[in-house]
Amino acid sequence: MATAYSEKDTIIHVENLSIVYGDKTIIKDINFTELNVTRPDKTVGQTIAFVGRSGRGKSTLFRALTGLEKPTTGKVLIPDFNKDIADNLQPAKLVCEGDVGFVDQKYTLFRHKTVYQSLFYALRKNKSSDEEKKSKIMDYLKDWGLEHHKDKYPNELSGGQRQRTAILEQLLSSGYYMVLDEPFSGLDVGNIENVKESFRKINESHDLNTIVFSTHDIELAVELADSIYIIGYKEPDNPSQHYGTIVKHFDLKDMGLAWHSEFSPSHHDCVVDIKKHMLKS
Amino acid sequence: MLKNWFKPFETVSKNQQLAISAIWIVLVAAYWIISSSGTKHLFPTPGQVAEGFSSLYKEGLVVHIGSSLALCAQATLLAVIISLVVVYLSPLPAISPIAHIMSRLRYLPLTGITFYLAIIVNDARTMQISVLFIFMSLYFVTTLLAMLKDIPKEEIDHARSLKCTRWEVLWEVVIKGRLDYVIDALRQNLAIVWMMLVTVESILVAAGGLGVLIKNSDKFMNHGRIVALQIVILLVGLLLDWVLNVSRKTIFTYSKF
Repeated sequence: MATAYSEKDTIIHVENLSIVYGDKTIIKDINFTELNVTRPDKTVGQTIAFVGRSGRGKSTLFRALTGLEKPTTGKVLIPDFNKDIADNLQPAKLVCEGDVGFVDQKYTLFRHKTVYQSLFYALRKNKSSDEEKKSKIMDYLKDWGLEHHKDKYPNELSGGQRQRTAILEQLLSSGYYMVLDEPFSGLDVGNIENVKESFRKINESHDLNTIVFSTHDIELAVELADSIYIIGYKEPDNPSQHYGTIVKHFDLKDMGLAWHSEFSPSHHDCVVDIKKHMLKS
Repeated sequence: MLKNWFKPFETVSKNQQLAISAIWIVLVAAYWIISSSGTKHLFPTPGQVAEGFSSLYKEGLVVHIGSSLALCAQATLLAVIISLVVVYLSPLPAISPIAHIMSRLRYLPLTGITFYLAIIVNDARTMQISVLFIFMSLYFVTTLLAMLKDIPKEEIDHARSLKCTRWEVLWEVVIKGRLDYVIDALRQNLAIVWMMLVTVESILVAAGGLGVLIKNSDKFMNHGRIVALQIVILLVGLLLDWVLNVSRKTIFTYSKF
C-alpha cells in the first residue's frame, strides 16, 4: 500500500554534469532533481541510492556532489539556507567543499584525534559556546552508543564504531546533506544493521536531512531508499560512449515501495528490474 | 623442533627465538676467541678489547661521546628545521621544485661539497656541523617527501569535507597528523648521520669526539681500542634509536607502527 507523502522545494538539483580527466570522460549528461519529501505526522528525510556496475563513475559523481571535484561542465545546486526565502523560494547555491558531508568506504577519520576531539573539530565553525558544543557532542555520543569510546583514537575503534564516528562527524559539520560511498561494502551482518540504524536516525531527525549512498547490494538499496538511480553506459557496445550517466530512475515513493518495514514481492520485482537495467548498462 | 627452524615463514615460540639468538651469540663469541688466538690474527683478543675500553675511559671517553653527541644534536636540529620547513611547504607548487631538487642532491659526493665548504667556512667545528647538516637534510627531505606522498587521498578529502581550508588540511593532515612519522624518519636518518659523524670527525679534526679517538687508535694500529670504540659507537647509536622510538610511542599513543 502506498504511503501518503507530498513534495516541496528542491533539495538537490544536478544539471548537465560531466567530469573529464584528460581525454577520458568519466561521467556525462547527469541530470536529476530531488525534492524535499514530507509525510503527514512523521518527520522524514530523503534517502537516495545510486547503483551501477563497477567503473561507471559513481565515486566520481559523489565527489562532484560533495564539491570535492570541480565539474568539467554543469552544476550541482543545493538550497542556500543562509539566505532568506524570496518569492516563496529558498535561494540556491553551487555546492562547495564542506556543504555536503562525505563518508568514504574506509570511514576515514583524523588519525591523531580521539572520537571527542574529532567531533569537537567538526563543530569548530559552529557559533555556539564550547559548553553547548560539549553538551551536543555528549548527547550524540550517548544516542549513537559511543559514550564509552569518546577518548579512543581511530585505530582503537571497531569497524562499527569508526563508521558511526565518521557519520556523526559529517552530520555535525555539514548539516543536512550526507553522501556515503558504498557504506555497506565489506561489512558483516551486525555492522550492516548498525549503518541501517544510523540511516534511520538521520532520516527521522529532520525533514531536510538527505542521505545519498551507493551500493552493490540492490536489495539493501530498495529496502532503504525512496529514490534509486542507475548509473551505467547508455551504449555498452560502443566504446566511444563509455561514460557513466543515469540510465534509469526508480521513484520508490511513487511506486508505493518506500518506507515499508517489510520486503514485499513488489520490492523483489523492483530488485529484479533494477538488476536487469544494470546488466544492460 | 630443529626442523621448524629451517622452514620458511615458520612461527617459533619466544623461548625458541631466545634460544636461536643465544646460539648465534655463542657462535660469534667462539669464532672471535678462536680467530684471535695464535700469534697472527685479524681480530684483537677479548682481553685486548677490554684493555682498549680501559684505555679509552682513561683518555676521556665520556667527554668524547659528549662532544660527538653535541655535534650530532646541532647538525640534526638544523637539518630537522630546514627539512621540515621545505617539506611542509612542498605541497605549494612554487616550493615543490626546491624540495625535489634537495632530494636529488643526495647523490652529490661528500668530497665535492667539503671542497666548496672549506672555501666558505674557516672554523673546523662549523665545517663539521655544515657537512653533517647538509647530508642529513638531503636524506631527511627524501624520507619526508616519501611520507607526504604516502598520505592517502581519502585523508585529504576527509579534511576538505569538514570545511577545512587548504592550509587547515596541511596543518591537520600533513603536519599534526604525521608528527609520529617525522620522529620515525628522524630515527632512520639519525643512523646515517651517526655513521657519517665519526668519519667527519676523523677527517676534519676539531673538538675531539669518537672519530678523533678512532683516528688516533688507527694511527697506532691499536686493534683492541678500535674494536672497543666500534662497540661504543654502536651502543650509543642504538641508545639514540631506542630513545626516539620510545618517545614516539609515549608522546603519540595512537602511533602503532
